[in-house]
Amino acid sequence: MTAQEVRLCGLLLQEHFGDVVENVGTHLIRNGVLTLRALAHETKLALDLVKKSLCVLVQHGMCTFGPGRRGPAGPVEYHINCEHILHMLRYPRYIYTAKSLYGDTGELIVEEILQRGQMTMSSTVKTVADRLTHNMPEGQSMDYNEVVSAFSRLVETHFLQRCPPMASAESSGTGSAETPPAVTQPSNPESHPDCYKLPYISLSGHGKRRRSSEDGEADQRAAKKAKTDSSECGDEGIHWQVNFERFHLHFRDQAIISAVSCKLDQTSGEIVRTMLRMSEVTTSANAAFTQALSANEIFRALPSNYNIARPILDQYLTLLVDDPMEFVGKAGDSGGGMFVVNLHRALANLARATLESVVQERFGSRSARIFRLLLRKRHLEQKQVEDFAMIPAKEAKEMLYTLLSENLVQLQEIPKTPDHAPSRTFYLYAVNQLPTARLLLQHCYKTVGNLIERRLYETKENKRLLEKSQRIEAILASLQATGAEATQLTEVEEMITAPERQQLESLRHHINKLDSGENQVDETIFLLESYINSTQASR
Amino acid sequence: MTEVKVKKESTDPVDIENRIKELCQQFPHGITDQVIQNDMPHVEAQQRATAINRLLSVGQLDLLRNSSGLLYRLKDTQSASKVKGSDNQEKLVYQIIEDAGNKGIWSRDIRYKSNLPLTEINKILKNLESKKLIKAVKSVAASKKKVYMLYNLQPDRSVTGGAWYSDQDFESEFVEALNQQCFKFLQSKAETARDSKQSPMVQRNSSFATSHEVWKYICELGISKVDLSMEDIETILNTLIFDGKVEMTIIAAKEGTVGSVDGQMKLYRGVNPIIQPTGLVKTPCGLCPVFDDCHEGGEISPSNCVYMAEWLDF
Repeated sequence: MTAQEVRLCGLLLQEHFGDVVENVGTHLIRNGVLTLRALAHETKLALDLVKKSLCVLVQHGMCTFGPGRRGPAGPVEYHINCEHILHMLRYPRYIYTAKSLYGDTGELIVEEILQRGQMTMSSTVKTVADRLTHNMPEGQSMDYNEVVSAFSRLVETHFLQRCPPMASAESSGTGSAETPPAVTQPSNPESHPDCYKLPYISLSGHGKRRRSSEDGEADQRAAKKAKTDSSECGDEGIHWQVNFERFHLHFRDQAIISAVSCKLDQTSGEIVRTMLRMSEVTTSANAAFTQALSANEIFRALPSNYNIARPILDQYLTLLVDDPMEFVGKAGDSGGGMFVVNLHRALANLARATLESVVQERFGSRSARIFRLLLRKRHLEQKQVEDFAMIPAKEAKEMLYTLLSENLVQLQEIPKTPDHAPSRTFYLYAVNQLPTARLLLQHCYKTVGNLIERRLYETKENKRLLEKSQRIEAILASLQATGAEATQLTEVEEMITAPERQQLESLRHHINKLDSGENQVDETIFLLESYINSTQASR
Repeated sequence: MTEVKVKKESTDPVDIENRIKELCQQFPHGITDQVIQNDMPHVEAQQRATAINRLLSVGQLDLLRNSSGLLYRLKDTQSASKVKGSDNQEKLVYQIIEDAGNKGIWSRDIRYKSNLPLTEINKILKNLESKKLIKAVKSVAASKKKVYMLYNLQPDRSVTGGAWYSDQDFESEFVEALNQQCFKFLQSKAETARDSKQSPMVQRNSSFATSHEVWKYICELGISKVDLSMEDIETILNTLIFDGKVEMTIIAAKEGTVGSVDGQMKLYRGVNPIIQPTGLVKTPCGLCPVFDDCHEGGEISPSNCVYMAEWLDF
């Protein structure tokens, strides 16, 4: 856990859950494992508040608890999961993916579950149907069944999964004192057989429209509560959470497909997409290759509207195999040729391209030339670098030293004699891809942290203005509801002066830019993280 | 009698010398002692030896050694005349420089070889230079280091640095221009291949260009004042590979095919990058020169960052 990650985690927690949870979270991150009492002491917060914050974290799967070092009889210890906290950065992307795959319904389902951490199927369906109905024109409403089918599709494609069941409280209560309390820590949700099994729920009806008036809403809420209380849907106790791993696999596949389409052409990208889709279910998450697929199978699975003839497909596959990036490899000759997608190789290539791109943008294309040269030729002396890159000695020297001081390039001394005299020593420059990727990952964390800080700063600076505009909007809304005259409305509208309006406009522009910047950096983070994880897995 | 004898003695060596020179002219590759002996059987070995020695000392003959023994050859009259009027030391230095050929020789190496003091050598070198017998060439390897070679020689590539140097300066603009031209050529080739709407295999194969084709294109463009060899173009193409814009494959070619070297042909093609500029560098922090000094609450911080402000208002 580096300082940058801790900082980013703190900022993310603060943004989503507020200051108190942030305080608890950062202390947990700094200390690793803490008991409730120690945590309360450290944070100097009321025990009650600490408990509530821990509840929030546990609800979102960011915190786990288990028996402490003192054995099952000792106090329960809490352990925070930083990776999960960092996933919060990617929430917009998960939601967007769900939207592009399963439409608005899918989007809302994922959004709701992400916001609440975990939900039962029936409550998700109800909330989503209500929200969809609210956005529909008057007189229409969303059928629960449609939402249920979208939900089940998300489960079938493993984007949602059941939360691992907790050992129920009664068992520890009724059992002897030695039985350990519920241990959630190591249990992997995938290890449960029912992980993707949908419960049978009896749910029919339509989403309800929220009334705009206050008391109407209260009515509604009371009514709904009564209804849920009265009608059991049959899935109580079965909670669902978002399967981040599955989303990440999807992102990875998308990255590979877009790389292939960029490098070769659209059709090759489509072929790789088909291959990846076919092996989606059969390939394990951290495998280096997909399952081998024969050309015949690929041909049959190609989307029919794509119109690729068999000989053309063979040619494309040969081209893909011949390409020096080696996204696709050949595993055998049976069945018209067996092909695999080199997942880890592809990730390494993408990460390399990312590193090159960073050097290129930051230090110019000539430095990038030197960087690529070193990546290709491994170890080179300064003179060789100058000759190969065809850059004048003076400039090449400067670029090399700059890259060296930024830790993007490493220097290896090989003395000919034991005295390390400079005149009798080889100085070899090299690029180590993995450490460099780690370095850039830290840079990315810091960058996102900076962007968030800047966003907070911008909103803080314009706090008064924002509050004013919100107030006025509220007044306008209530006036409109009561059917006020147009002159009255314009009068209220004019309470925001022209320069203020301009300032608000530019603030909105700034915030949007910072937000999109965060998402773009997150794409880099994702690529580098997957590359680092994949190399660790293959070791 | 004495007069006749003197005359005979004095004419004889000159005759012999002339005869030897004639023989040498007949056989420009050199003659052995045997040849002279066969030509002038009446001359005694003693006389022959003095004549040859005289020619050697005057510098009109060269003594060479080959597998069959000693070989005499007429010295280049030009060089013989050049060194005329110089003393032995000068001749020695001249010879050392001549031996070094077009690679040139450093003054310190001349000192080691000739065993003369450095001051003396500098004087001789200056002398020879003023006579335009030798010239000093600055080496690209070390700009301070001067090497000497004969005046009429073209310096070796290792000294001048080849086509990429003019007056010891690396012509980086020239290299960049060539780099861009080569890329343009390969790119247009790849584009025409893509637009041809043929089968993917044919498309790929027609996007390749051999190094010979690129070389011909550059020669026909006429952007280079100096003659570029195919190797020169290949080094340029290699820089394009390191720019990530070009790929190379080597295929076996039939001996004698145009552009093949040792039965190999190098094929180049322009390629597209696999990703757009990555997300990190689209933010000001990705390019920030003071990134490491930036801390919240510090002198440089995200809140008061000028780069960020510029980027946001853009």
